[in-house]
Amino acid sequence: MGWDNDEKSLKTFLFSKINRKITFLLLITGLITPALTILYFYELALSVIPESIPLEQSVLLQTAAVIIIVLIGVNVGFFGFLFSRSISKPIKQLYAVTKEVEKGNFNVKTDVKTGDEIEELAVAFNNTTAALARIDNERREIDSAKTEFLSITSHELRSPMTPMKAQLQMLEQEYFGKLNDKQKHSLGIVIRNADRLDKIIVDFLEISRIEAARLKFSFKQIDLVKTAEETVEFMKGFANEKEIKLELKTDKIPVIDVDPDRVSQVLRNLINNAIKFSKNKSKIEIDVNIKEDHIQFSVKDYGCGMTSEDQIRVFEPFYQVEDHSRRVHGGTGLGLAICRGIVESQKGKIWVESKLGKGSTFSFTVPLKPIMEIEPIKVLFSPRSVIEGKLKEEFKKVLGPLGLGEFNELKSKNALWKEDLFKYVATLTNLFILSDEQGQLFKNKIGMIFGDEKDIINEKTVTPMLTLLRW
Amino acid sequence: MKTILVVDDEEDIRESVKLILETRGYKVEMAVNGDDCLKKLTSVNPDLILLDIMMPGKPVDEVVRHIKNVKIAFMSVVRISEARKRGLCTQENIVDFIQKPFDVGDLVGRVELILGE
Repeated sequence: MGWDNDEKSLKTFLFSKINRKITFLLLITGLITPALTILYFYELALSVIPESIPLEQSVLLQTAAVIIIVLIGVNVGFFGFLFSRSISKPIKQLYAVTKEVEKGNFNVKTDVKTGDEIEELAVAFNNTTAALARIDNERREIDSAKTEFLSITSHELRSPMTPMKAQLQMLEQEYFGKLNDKQKHSLGIVIRNADRLDKIIVDFLEISRIEAARLKFSFKQIDLVKTAEETVEFMKGFANEKEIKLELKTDKIPVIDVDPDRVSQVLRNLINNAIKFSKNKSKIEIDVNIKEDHIQFSVKDYGCGMTSEDQIRVFEPFYQVEDHSRRVHGGTGLGLAICRGIVESQKGKIWVESKLGKGSTFSFTVPLKPIMEIEPIKVLFSPRSVIEGKLKEEFKKVLGPLGLGEFNELKSKNALWKEDLFKYVATLTNLFILSDEQGQLFKNKIGMIFGDEKDIINEKTVTPMLTLLRW
Repeated sequence: MKTILVVDDEEDIRESVKLILETRGYKVEMAVNGDDCLKKLTSVNPDLILLDIMMPGKPVDEVVRHIKNVKIAFMSVVRISEARKRGLCTQENIVDFIQKPFDVGDLVGRVELILGE
Protein backbone atom coordinates (compact mmCIF):
# COMPACT_ATOMS: atom_id res chain seq x y z
CA MET A 1 0.00 0.00 0.00
CA GLY A 2 2.75 2.46 0.94
CA TRP A 3 4.56 1.74 -2.31
CA ASP A 4 1.44 2.63 -4.30
CA ASN A 5 1.05 5.91 -2.51
CA ASP A 6 4.66 6.82 -3.11
CA GLU A 7 4.37 5.94 -6.79
CA LYS A 8 1.20 7.96 -7.11
CA SER A 9 2.59 10.97 -5.31
CA LEU A 10 5.81 10.79 -7.31
CA LYS A 11 3.76 10.76 -10.50
CA THR A 12 1.68 13.69 -9.33
CA PHE A 13 4.83 15.57 -8.39
CA LEU A 14 6.56 14.85 -11.64
CA PHE A 15 3.62 15.90 -13.67
CA SER A 16 2.52 18.82 -11.53
CA LYS A 17 2.45 21.89 -13.74
CA ILE A 18 4.38 24.14 -11.40
CA ASN A 19 7.06 21.51 -10.84
CA ARG A 20 7.45 20.99 -14.56
CA LYS A 21 7.71 24.69 -15.28
CA ILE A 22 10.25 25.50 -12.60
CA THR A 23 12.36 22.38 -13.05
CA PHE A 24 12.51 22.85 -16.79
CA LEU A 25 13.42 26.51 -16.39
CA LEU A 26 16.20 25.73 -13.91
CA LEU A 27 17.47 22.90 -16.05
CA ILE A 28 17.87 25.16 -19.04
CA THR A 29 19.47 27.91 -16.97
CA GLY A 30 21.68 25.45 -15.14
CA LEU A 31 22.89 23.80 -18.31
CA ILE A 32 23.50 26.80 -20.50
CA THR A 33 26.59 28.05 -18.71
CA PRO A 34 28.41 24.72 -18.38
CA ALA A 35 27.45 23.75 -21.92
CA LEU A 36 28.77 26.98 -23.37
CA THR A 37 31.89 26.77 -21.22
CA ILE A 38 32.59 23.21 -22.30
CA LEU A 39 32.00 24.12 -25.91
CA TYR A 40 34.41 27.04 -25.58
CA PHE A 41 37.14 25.01 -23.98
CA TYR A 42 36.60 22.24 -26.47
CA GLU A 43 37.14 24.62 -29.37
CA LEU A 44 40.09 26.15 -27.51
CA ALA A 45 41.64 22.75 -26.91
CA LEU A 46 41.17 21.82 -30.54
CA SER A 47 42.82 24.99 -31.72
CA VAL A 48 45.82 24.61 -29.38
CA ILE A 49 46.45 20.88 -29.48
CA PRO A 50 48.16 19.63 -32.74
CA GLU A 51 45.92 18.52 -35.58
CA SER A 52 46.37 14.83 -35.36
CA ILE A 53 44.88 13.75 -32.08
CA PRO A 54 44.52 10.01 -31.75
CA LEU A 55 40.89 9.04 -32.23
CA GLU A 56 40.62 7.61 -28.73
CA GLN A 57 41.71 10.85 -27.10
CA SER A 58 39.21 12.85 -29.12
CA VAL A 59 36.46 10.38 -28.31
CA LEU A 60 37.57 10.48 -24.66
CA LEU A 61 37.32 14.27 -24.65
CA GLN A 62 33.89 14.17 -26.24
CA THR A 63 32.65 11.50 -23.83
CA ALA A 64 34.03 13.49 -20.90
CA ALA A 65 32.19 16.57 -22.14
CA VAL A 66 28.95 14.68 -22.53
CA ILE A 67 29.29 13.06 -19.10
CA ILE A 68 29.97 16.42 -17.45
CA ILE A 69 26.91 17.94 -19.09
CA VAL A 70 24.75 14.99 -18.11
CA LEU A 71 26.01 15.11 -14.50
CA ILE A 72 25.34 18.83 -14.30
CA GLY A 73 21.93 18.26 -15.84
CA VAL A 74 21.04 15.58 -13.31
CA ASN A 75 22.32 17.71 -10.45
CA VAL A 76 20.46 20.81 -11.50
CA GLY A 77 17.39 18.80 -12.32
CA PHE A 78 17.41 17.18 -8.91
CA PHE A 79 17.96 20.34 -6.93
CA GLY A 80 15.65 22.28 -9.20
CA PHE A 81 13.00 19.70 -8.57
CA LEU A 82 13.46 19.95 -4.80
CA PHE A 83 13.28 23.71 -5.05
CA SER A 84 10.13 23.71 -7.12
CA ARG A 85 8.59 21.22 -4.72
CA SER A 86 9.18 23.62 -1.84
CA ILE A 87 7.03 26.13 -3.69
CA SER A 88 4.42 23.80 -5.08
CA LYS A 89 3.82 21.88 -1.87
CA PRO A 90 2.34 24.76 0.14
CA ILE A 91 0.40 25.87 -2.91
CA LYS A 92 -1.07 22.38 -3.18
CA GLN A 93 -2.00 22.49 0.49
CA LEU A 94 -3.80 25.77 0.00
CA TYR A 95 -5.52 24.36 -3.05
CA ALA A 96 -6.75 21.29 -1.17
CA VAL A 97 -8.10 23.41 1.65
CA THR A 98 -9.78 25.82 -0.79
CA LYS A 99 -11.54 22.87 -2.38
CA GLU A 100 -12.97 21.99 1.03
CA VAL A 101 -14.24 25.53 1.49
CA GLU A 102 -15.84 25.36 -1.94
CA LYS A 103 -17.84 22.39 -0.71
CA GLY A 104 -19.08 24.52 2.15
CA ASN A 105 -16.83 23.06 4.82
CA PHE A 106 -15.41 26.10 6.59
CA ASN A 107 -13.71 24.35 9.46
CA VAL A 108 -10.42 23.97 7.68
CA LYS A 109 -7.01 25.28 8.45
CA THR A 110 -3.83 25.08 6.52
CA ASP A 111 -0.43 24.59 8.09
CA VAL A 112 2.24 26.21 5.98
CA LYS A 113 5.58 27.06 7.52
CA THR A 114 7.70 28.24 4.64
CA GLY A 115 8.67 31.52 6.27
CA ASP A 116 7.76 33.59 3.23
CA GLU A 117 4.87 35.31 1.49
CA ILE A 118 3.21 31.98 0.85
CA GLU A 119 3.02 31.43 4.59
CA GLU A 120 1.49 34.90 4.92
CA LEU A 121 -1.05 33.95 2.31
CA ALA A 122 -1.85 30.78 4.24
CA VAL A 123 -2.34 32.74 7.47
CA ALA A 124 -4.66 35.19 5.72
CA PHE A 125 -6.54 32.23 4.28
CA ASN A 126 -6.95 30.66 7.73
CA ASN A 127 -8.31 33.90 9.10
CA THR A 128 -10.80 34.13 6.25
CA THR A 129 -12.12 30.61 6.73
CA ALA A 130 -12.35 31.18 10.48
CA ALA A 131 -14.49 34.24 9.82
CA LEU A 132 -16.62 32.32 7.33
CA ALA A 133 -17.07 29.48 9.80
CA ARG A 134 -18.23 31.94 12.45
CA ILE A 135 -20.79 33.49 10.12
CA ASP A 136 -21.99 30.09 9.01
CA ASN A 137 -22.37 28.95 12.63
CA GLU A 138 -24.37 32.02 13.50
CA ARG A 139 -26.64 31.38 10.58
CA ARG A 140 -27.19 27.80 11.66
CA GLU A 141 -27.93 28.83 15.23
CA ILE A 142 -30.46 31.41 14.12
CA ASP A 143 -32.05 28.85 11.83
CA SER A 144 -32.41 26.23 14.51
CA ALA A 145 -33.64 28.77 17.06
CA LYS A 146 -36.29 29.86 14.58
CA THR A 147 -37.36 26.31 13.89
CA GLU A 148 -37.37 25.40 17.58
CA PHE A 149 -39.55 28.43 18.22
CA LEU A 150 -41.93 27.53 15.42
CA SER A 151 -42.19 23.95 16.61
CA ILE A 152 -42.99 24.87 20.18
CA THR A 153 -45.44 27.58 19.13
CA SER A 154 -47.26 25.27 16.77
CA HIS A 155 -47.51 22.57 19.37
CA GLU A 156 -48.86 25.06 21.88
CA LEU A 157 -51.25 26.40 19.26
CA ARG A 158 -52.65 22.95 18.57
CA SER A 159 -53.21 21.89 22.14
CA PRO A 160 -56.19 24.18 22.90
CA MET A 161 -57.87 22.79 19.80
CA THR A 162 -58.61 19.51 21.56
CA PRO A 163 -60.94 20.73 24.32
CA MET A 164 -62.29 23.41 21.96
CA LYS A 165 -63.29 20.92 19.31
CA ALA A 166 -64.63 18.42 21.84
CA GLN A 167 -66.84 21.01 23.59
CA LEU A 168 -68.07 22.48 20.31
CA GLN A 169 -69.06 19.06 19.06
CA MET A 170 -70.79 18.29 22.35
CA LEU A 171 -72.70 21.56 22.08
CA GLU A 172 -73.68 20.70 18.54
CA GLN A 173 -74.74 17.20 19.53
CA GLU A 174 -76.99 18.79 22.15
CA TYR A 175 -75.18 17.44 25.19
CA PHE A 176 -76.11 20.63 26.99
CA GLY A 177 -79.64 21.07 25.82
CA LYS A 178 -81.58 21.49 22.64
CA LEU A 179 -80.48 24.12 20.15
CA ASN A 180 -82.59 26.29 17.92
CA ASP A 181 -81.76 26.61 14.20
CA LYS A 182 -79.92 29.90 14.54
CA GLN A 183 -77.74 28.46 17.29
CA LYS A 184 -77.01 25.36 15.24
CA HIS A 185 -76.03 27.48 12.23
CA SER A 186 -73.77 29.69 14.30
CA LEU A 187 -72.12 26.68 15.89
CA GLY A 188 -71.55 25.19 12.44
CA ILE A 189 -69.59 28.27 11.43
CA VAL A 190 -67.46 28.16 14.55
CA ILE A 191 -66.67 24.44 14.16
CA ARG A 192 -65.79 24.79 10.49
CA ASN A 193 -63.38 27.59 11.15
CA ALA A 194 -61.84 25.92 14.16
CA ASP A 195 -61.08 22.95 11.90
CA ARG A 196 -59.65 25.26 9.28
CA LEU A 197 -57.40 26.90 11.82
CA ASP A 198 -56.17 23.53 12.99
CA LYS A 199 -55.34 22.47 9.46
CA ILE A 200 -53.35 25.64 8.86
CA ILE A 201 -51.37 25.06 12.02
CA VAL A 202 -50.61 21.51 10.96
CA ASP A 203 -49.40 22.75 7.56
CA PHE A 204 -47.35 25.40 9.26
CA LEU A 205 -45.64 22.76 11.38
CA GLU A 206 -44.90 20.82 8.21
CA ILE A 207 -43.32 23.88 6.62
CA SER A 208 -41.17 24.58 9.63
CA ARG A 209 -39.92 21.02 9.44
CA ILE A 210 -39.18 21.34 5.73
CA GLU A 211 -37.28 24.54 6.38
CA ALA A 212 -35.03 22.88 8.89
CA ALA A 213 -34.71 19.79 6.70
CA ARG A 214 -35.90 17.84 9.69
CA LEU A 215 -38.62 16.63 7.41
CA LYS A 216 -38.11 12.96 7.97
CA PHE A 217 -37.14 11.32 4.72
CA SER A 218 -36.62 7.62 4.63
CA PHE A 219 -35.03 6.46 1.41
CA LYS A 220 -35.61 2.98 0.11
CA GLN A 221 -35.25 1.22 -3.22
CA ILE A 222 -38.70 1.87 -4.60
CA ASP A 223 -40.65 1.12 -7.74
CA LEU A 224 -42.37 4.44 -8.22
CA VAL A 225 -44.89 2.95 -10.60
CA LYS A 226 -46.30 0.99 -7.68
CA THR A 227 -46.31 4.11 -5.53
CA ALA A 228 -48.22 5.98 -8.23
CA GLU A 229 -50.70 3.12 -8.60
CA GLU A 230 -51.33 2.95 -4.85
CA THR A 231 -51.77 6.71 -4.60
CA VAL A 232 -54.24 6.80 -7.49
CA GLU A 233 -56.20 3.92 -5.94
CA PHE A 234 -56.33 5.81 -2.68
CA MET A 235 -57.59 8.97 -4.36
CA LYS A 236 -60.25 7.12 -6.35
CA GLY A 237 -62.54 7.32 -3.33
CA PHE A 238 -62.51 11.11 -3.41
CA ALA A 239 -62.72 11.22 -7.19
CA ASN A 240 -65.81 9.01 -7.16
CA GLU A 241 -67.65 11.55 -5.03
CA LYS A 242 -67.66 13.81 -8.08
CA GLU A 243 -67.81 10.91 -10.54
CA ILE A 244 -64.38 11.85 -11.87
CA LYS A 245 -62.24 9.27 -13.63
CA LEU A 246 -58.57 8.95 -12.70
CA GLU A 247 -56.42 7.64 -15.55
CA LEU A 248 -52.87 6.55 -14.82
CA LYS A 249 -50.30 6.05 -17.59
CA THR A 250 -46.74 5.04 -16.76
CA ASP A 251 -43.49 4.42 -18.61
CA LYS A 252 -41.17 1.68 -17.48
CA ILE A 253 -39.46 3.32 -14.52
CA PRO A 254 -36.28 1.94 -12.94
CA VAL A 255 -36.20 1.29 -9.21
CA ILE A 256 -34.46 4.19 -7.47
CA ASP A 257 -33.52 5.36 -4.01
CA VAL A 258 -36.40 7.59 -3.00
CA ASP A 259 -38.83 8.31 -0.19
CA PRO A 260 -42.13 6.91 -1.47
CA ASP A 261 -44.28 8.55 1.24
CA ARG A 262 -43.11 12.01 0.20
CA VAL A 263 -43.66 11.38 -3.51
CA SER A 264 -47.07 10.00 -2.66
CA GLN A 265 -47.81 13.06 -0.53
CA VAL A 266 -47.07 15.44 -3.39
CA LEU A 267 -49.03 13.32 -5.85
CA ARG A 268 -52.01 13.13 -3.49
CA ASN A 269 -52.01 16.89 -3.05
CA LEU A 270 -51.91 17.51 -6.81
CA ILE A 271 -54.68 15.00 -7.50
CA ASN A 272 -56.72 16.49 -4.66
CA ASN A 273 -56.38 19.94 -6.22
CA ALA A 274 -57.27 18.55 -9.63
CA ILE A 275 -60.42 16.98 -8.20
CA LYS A 276 -61.32 20.21 -6.41
CA PHE A 277 -61.12 22.26 -9.56
CA SER A 278 -62.62 19.76 -12.00
CA LYS A 279 -66.29 19.54 -12.87
CA ASN A 280 -68.31 16.45 -12.11
CA LYS A 281 -67.98 13.52 -14.49
CA SER A 282 -64.72 14.81 -16.00
CA LYS A 283 -61.42 13.00 -16.02
CA ILE A 284 -57.93 13.52 -14.61
CA GLU A 285 -54.86 12.11 -16.33
CA ILE A 286 -51.85 11.14 -14.29
CA ASP A 287 -48.65 10.37 -16.18
CA VAL A 288 -45.34 9.02 -15.00
CA ASN A 289 -42.60 9.43 -17.61
CA ILE A 290 -38.90 8.62 -17.65
CA LYS A 291 -36.69 11.42 -18.93
CA GLU A 292 -32.93 11.71 -19.36
CA ASP A 293 -31.91 12.19 -15.76
CA HIS A 294 -35.19 12.30 -13.92
CA ILE A 295 -38.68 10.90 -13.56
CA GLN A 296 -41.51 13.26 -14.36
CA PHE A 297 -44.97 13.08 -12.80
CA SER A 298 -47.82 15.11 -14.21
CA VAL A 299 -51.42 15.57 -13.17
CA LYS A 300 -53.65 16.99 -15.88
CA ASP A 301 -57.16 18.17 -15.24
CA TYR A 302 -59.82 19.58 -17.54
CA GLY A 303 -61.19 21.99 -15.00
CA CYS A 304 -61.42 25.72 -14.89
CA GLY A 305 -57.73 26.42 -15.44
CA MET A 306 -55.82 29.37 -14.00
CA THR A 307 -55.00 32.92 -14.95
CA SER A 308 -51.39 33.75 -15.65
CA GLU A 309 -51.15 35.55 -12.34
CA ASP A 310 -52.40 32.42 -10.61
CA GLN A 311 -49.84 30.30 -12.42
CA ILE A 312 -47.02 32.49 -11.24
CA ARG A 313 -48.15 32.73 -7.66
CA VAL A 314 -49.83 29.43 -6.98
CA PHE A 315 -46.83 27.92 -5.16
CA GLU A 316 -46.60 30.83 -2.77
CA PRO A 317 -47.59 30.09 0.82
CA PHE A 318 -51.20 31.01 1.59
CA TYR A 319 -51.93 31.96 -2.00
CA GLN A 320 -55.27 30.61 -3.11
CA VAL A 321 -56.88 30.93 -6.47
CA GLU A 322 -59.65 33.52 -6.55
CA ASP A 323 -62.78 31.58 -7.22
CA HIS A 324 -66.41 32.31 -6.41
CA SER A 325 -66.71 28.77 -5.12
CA ARG A 326 -63.60 29.19 -3.04
CA ARG A 327 -65.31 28.89 0.29
CA VAL A 328 -66.36 25.39 -0.61
CA HIS A 329 -62.81 24.28 -1.29
CA GLY A 330 -61.60 24.86 2.25
CA GLY A 331 -57.88 24.66 1.61
CA THR A 332 -55.16 26.22 3.71
CA GLY A 333 -53.21 27.71 0.81
CA LEU A 334 -50.13 25.87 2.01
CA GLY A 335 -50.46 22.56 0.18
CA LEU A 336 -48.54 23.57 -2.93
CA ALA A 337 -45.94 25.46 -0.90
CA ILE A 338 -45.32 22.26 1.02
CA CYS A 339 -45.19 20.26 -2.22
CA ARG A 340 -42.60 22.64 -3.60
CA GLY A 341 -40.59 22.32 -0.39
CA ILE A 342 -40.65 18.53 -0.63
CA VAL A 343 -39.86 18.40 -4.36
CA GLU A 344 -37.05 20.95 -4.20
CA SER A 345 -35.42 19.41 -1.14
CA GLN A 346 -35.14 16.24 -3.24
CA LYS A 347 -33.50 18.42 -5.92
CA GLY A 348 -36.49 18.21 -8.22
CA LYS A 349 -38.63 20.85 -9.88
CA ILE A 350 -42.36 21.53 -9.75
CA TRP A 351 -44.37 23.71 -12.13
CA VAL A 352 -47.73 24.27 -13.75
CA GLU A 353 -49.03 24.81 -17.27
CA SER A 354 -52.55 26.03 -17.57
CA LYS A 355 -55.12 27.63 -19.84
CA LEU A 356 -57.98 29.54 -18.33
CA GLY A 357 -61.19 27.63 -18.98
CA LYS A 358 -59.42 24.58 -20.40
CA GLY A 359 -57.57 23.03 -17.47
CA SER A 360 -54.19 22.75 -15.79
CA THR A 361 -51.28 20.37 -15.74
CA PHE A 362 -49.14 20.25 -12.63
CA SER A 363 -45.81 18.48 -13.05
CA PHE A 364 -42.90 17.61 -10.78
CA THR A 365 -39.66 15.75 -11.18
CA VAL A 366 -37.67 13.31 -9.10
CA PRO A 367 -34.00 12.98 -10.09
CA LEU A 368 -32.71 9.49 -10.86
CA LYS A 369 -29.49 10.08 -8.97
CA PRO A 370 -29.95 9.30 -5.29
CA ILE A 371 -30.03 12.30 -3.00
CA MET A 372 -27.27 11.83 -0.48
CA GLU A 373 -28.24 14.69 1.71
CA ILE A 374 -31.46 16.58 2.15
CA GLU A 375 -30.81 20.29 2.14
CA PRO A 376 -33.00 22.61 4.10
CA ILE A 377 -35.31 24.39 1.72
CA LYS A 378 -36.72 27.72 2.64
CA VAL A 379 -40.43 27.61 2.00
CA LEU A 380 -41.56 30.83 3.64
CA PHE A 381 -38.51 33.07 3.80
CA SER A 382 -37.03 31.69 0.67
CA PRO A 383 -33.81 32.80 -0.96
CA ARG A 384 -35.65 31.86 -4.15
CA SER A 385 -38.03 34.74 -3.60
CA VAL A 386 -35.11 37.06 -2.88
CA ILE A 387 -33.38 35.89 -6.07
CA GLU A 388 -36.60 36.28 -8.04
CA GLY A 389 -37.04 39.80 -6.69
CA LYS A 390 -33.55 40.77 -7.83
CA LEU A 391 -34.07 39.14 -11.22
CA LYS A 392 -37.30 41.04 -11.69
CA GLU A 393 -35.53 44.32 -10.98
CA GLU A 394 -32.75 43.44 -13.41
CA PHE A 395 -35.22 42.55 -16.16
CA LYS A 396 -37.01 45.85 -15.69
CA LYS A 397 -33.70 47.70 -15.87
CA VAL A 398 -32.33 45.95 -18.94
CA LEU A 399 -35.48 45.42 -20.97
CA GLY A 400 -37.45 48.45 -19.88
CA PRO A 401 -41.27 48.24 -20.06
CA LEU A 402 -41.11 44.78 -21.67
CA GLY A 403 -38.96 43.50 -18.84
CA LEU A 404 -41.79 42.70 -16.43
CA GLY A 405 -43.75 40.81 -19.06
CA GLU A 406 -40.72 38.75 -20.06
CA PHE A 407 -39.91 38.02 -16.44
CA ASN A 408 -43.44 36.78 -15.73
CA GLU A 409 -43.42 34.68 -18.87
CA LEU A 410 -40.19 32.97 -17.80
CA LYS A 411 -41.47 32.53 -14.27
CA SER A 412 -44.63 30.81 -15.42
CA LYS A 413 -42.50 28.37 -17.43
CA ASN A 414 -40.33 27.82 -14.34
CA ALA A 415 -37.36 29.05 -16.35
CA LEU A 416 -35.90 31.28 -13.64
CA TRP A 417 -32.78 29.15 -13.24
CA LYS A 418 -29.29 30.20 -14.23
CA GLU A 419 -28.87 27.93 -17.26
CA ASP A 420 -32.33 28.72 -18.62
CA LEU A 421 -31.75 32.44 -18.16
CA PHE A 422 -28.39 32.29 -19.92
CA LYS A 423 -30.06 30.55 -22.85
CA TYR A 424 -32.71 33.25 -22.86
CA VAL A 425 -30.09 36.02 -22.94
CA ALA A 426 -28.34 34.23 -25.81
CA THR A 427 -31.63 34.31 -27.74
CA LEU A 428 -31.90 38.04 -27.08
CA THR A 429 -28.42 38.71 -28.44
CA ASN A 430 -29.01 36.43 -31.44
CA LEU A 431 -32.09 38.42 -32.31
CA PHE A 432 -30.07 41.66 -31.90
CA ILE A 433 -32.43 42.82 -29.18
CA LEU A 434 -29.34 43.23 -27.03
CA SER A 435 -25.81 43.89 -28.21
CA ASP A 436 -23.17 41.29 -27.32
CA GLU A 437 -21.81 43.60 -24.66
CA GLN A 438 -25.21 44.26 -23.15
CA GLY A 439 -25.90 40.53 -23.24
CA GLN A 440 -22.65 39.75 -21.42
CA LEU A 441 -23.38 42.40 -18.78
CA PHE A 442 -26.86 40.96 -18.32
CA LYS A 443 -25.44 37.46 -17.94
CA ASN A 444 -22.89 38.69 -15.42
CA LYS A 445 -25.61 40.36 -13.41
CA ILE A 446 -27.68 37.17 -13.48
CA GLY A 447 -24.64 35.15 -12.47
CA MET A 448 -24.02 37.51 -9.56
CA ILE A 449 -27.59 37.16 -8.39
CA PHE A 450 -27.09 33.42 -8.31
CA GLY A 451 -23.90 33.95 -6.31
CA ASP A 452 -21.16 33.75 -8.92
CA GLU A 453 -19.15 36.79 -7.83
CA LYS A 454 -15.93 34.85 -7.90
CA ASP A 455 -16.21 33.90 -11.57
CA ILE A 456 -16.70 37.53 -12.57
CA ILE A 457 -13.79 38.75 -10.48
CA ASN A 458 -11.56 36.11 -12.04
CA GLU A 459 -12.56 37.09 -15.54
CA LYS A 460 -11.72 40.72 -14.92
CA THR A 461 -8.31 40.28 -13.30
CA VAL A 462 -6.82 36.90 -14.21
CA THR A 463 -6.78 37.51 -17.94
CA PRO A 464 -4.24 40.35 -17.91
CA MET A 465 -2.06 38.38 -15.47
CA LEU A 466 -2.02 35.33 -17.71
CA THR A 467 -0.92 37.47 -20.62
CA LEU A 468 2.08 38.61 -18.58
CA LEU A 469 3.03 35.10 -17.60
CA ARG A 470 2.79 33.69 -21.08
CA TRP A 471 6.32 32.95 -22.21
CA MET B 1 -70.40 -0.65 34.14
CA LYS B 2 -66.92 -0.35 32.72
CA THR B 3 -64.39 2.06 34.17
CA ILE B 4 -62.04 4.24 32.17
CA LEU B 5 -59.02 6.04 33.63
CA VAL B 6 -58.27 9.30 31.81
CA VAL B 7 -54.69 10.57 32.22
CA ASP B 8 -53.91 14.04 30.83
CA ASP B 9 -52.16 17.08 32.27
CA GLU B 10 -54.73 19.50 30.82
CA GLU B 11 -57.84 19.91 32.94
CA ASP B 12 -60.04 21.02 30.05
CA ILE B 13 -59.28 17.86 28.17
CA ARG B 14 -59.93 15.69 31.21
CA GLU B 15 -63.25 17.41 31.79
CA SER B 16 -64.32 17.09 28.15
CA VAL B 17 -63.40 13.43 27.84
CA LYS B 18 -65.07 12.70 31.21
CA LEU B 19 -68.32 14.26 30.05
CA ILE B 20 -68.28 12.46 26.71
CA LEU B 21 -67.62 9.04 28.25
CA GLU B 22 -69.99 9.43 31.19
CA THR B 23 -72.75 10.33 28.76
CA ARG B 24 -72.09 7.00 27.08
CA GLY B 25 -72.50 5.25 30.40
CA TYR B 26 -68.93 4.69 31.52
CA LYS B 27 -67.51 5.40 34.96
CA VAL B 28 -64.58 7.81 34.59
CA GLU B 29 -61.59 8.24 36.91
CA MET B 30 -58.91 10.85 36.28
CA ALA B 31 -55.18 11.34 36.82
CA VAL B 32 -53.01 14.36 36.05
CA ASN B 33 -49.75 12.72 35.04
CA GLY B 34 -47.77 9.45 34.95
CA ASP B 35 -47.02 9.24 38.66
CA ASP B 36 -50.60 10.13 39.56
CA CYS B 37 -51.81 7.46 37.16
CA LEU B 38 -49.73 4.74 38.83
CA LYS B 39 -50.92 5.92 42.24
CA LYS B 40 -54.57 5.78 41.18
CA LEU B 41 -54.04 2.25 39.87
CA THR B 42 -53.43 1.00 43.41
CA SER B 43 -57.01 1.83 44.34
CA VAL B 44 -58.88 1.76 41.03
CA ASN B 45 -59.21 -1.12 38.60
CA PRO B 46 -60.08 0.36 35.19
CA ASP B 47 -60.95 -1.55 32.02
CA LEU B 48 -59.13 0.99 29.85
CA ILE B 49 -56.56 3.74 30.35
CA LEU B 50 -56.51 6.75 28.00
CA LEU B 51 -52.96 7.99 28.31
CA ASP B 52 -51.61 11.27 26.93
CA ILE B 53 -48.07 10.70 25.73
CA MET B 54 -46.74 14.20 26.32
CA MET B 55 -47.00 15.05 30.03
CA PRO B 56 -44.60 16.56 32.54
CA GLY B 57 -43.03 14.20 35.02
CA LYS B 58 -42.35 10.53 34.46
CA PRO B 59 -41.93 9.74 30.73
CA VAL B 60 -44.72 7.71 29.27
CA ASP B 61 -42.69 4.62 28.33
CA GLU B 62 -41.62 4.23 31.95
CA VAL B 63 -45.21 4.55 33.15
CA VAL B 64 -46.38 1.97 30.68
CA ARG B 65 -43.80 -0.53 31.86
CA HIS B 66 -45.59 -0.73 35.20
CA ILE B 67 -48.96 -1.42 33.65
CA LYS B 68 -49.26 -4.91 32.28
CA ASN B 69 -52.78 -6.15 32.39
CA VAL B 70 -54.92 -3.13 31.59
CA LYS B 71 -55.65 -2.00 28.06
CA ILE B 72 -54.00 1.31 27.19
CA ALA B 73 -54.78 3.75 24.39
CA PHE B 74 -52.31 6.57 23.74
CA MET B 75 -53.45 10.10 22.95
CA SER B 76 -51.27 12.70 21.24
CA VAL B 77 -51.45 16.21 19.81
CA VAL B 78 -48.24 15.77 17.89
CA ARG B 79 -48.55 13.91 14.61
CA ILE B 80 -46.83 10.57 15.11
CA SER B 81 -45.26 8.71 12.22
CA GLU B 82 -45.92 5.02 11.72
CA ALA B 83 -42.36 4.24 12.74
CA ARG B 84 -42.68 6.14 16.00
CA LYS B 85 -46.01 4.45 16.70
CA ARG B 86 -44.38 1.06 16.32
CA GLY B 87 -41.67 2.16 18.72
CA LEU B 88 -44.22 3.20 21.32
CA CYS B 89 -46.55 0.23 21.09
CA THR B 90 -44.07 -2.08 22.75
CA GLN B 91 -46.50 -4.01 24.89
CA GLU B 92 -49.44 -6.20 24.09
CA ASN B 93 -51.81 -4.18 26.21
CA ILE B 94 -51.28 -1.02 24.14
CA VAL B 95 -54.20 -1.29 21.80
CA ASP B 96 -54.81 2.05 20.08
CA PHE B 97 -53.46 5.44 19.16
CA ILE B 98 -55.83 8.41 19.25
CA GLN B 99 -54.85 11.62 17.48
CA LYS B 100 -55.80 14.84 19.19
CA PRO B 101 -57.90 16.87 18.51
CA PHE B 102 -60.35 14.05 18.12
CA ASP B 103 -63.91 13.84 16.91
CA VAL B 104 -66.34 13.09 19.71
CA GLY B 105 -67.86 10.34 17.64
CA ASP B 106 -64.46 8.92 16.75
CA LEU B 107 -63.36 8.77 20.38
CA VAL B 108 -66.55 7.03 21.45
CA GLY B 109 -66.31 4.60 18.56
CA ARG B 110 -62.75 3.59 19.38
CA VAL B 111 -63.43 3.18 23.08
CA GLU B 112 -66.43 1.00 22.36
CA LEU B 113 -64.40 -1.07 19.94
CA ILE B 114 -61.63 -1.60 22.47
CA LEU B 115 -64.02 -2.55 25.22
CA GLY B 116 -65.79 -4.92 22.89
CA GLU B 117 -69.25 -3.35 23.12
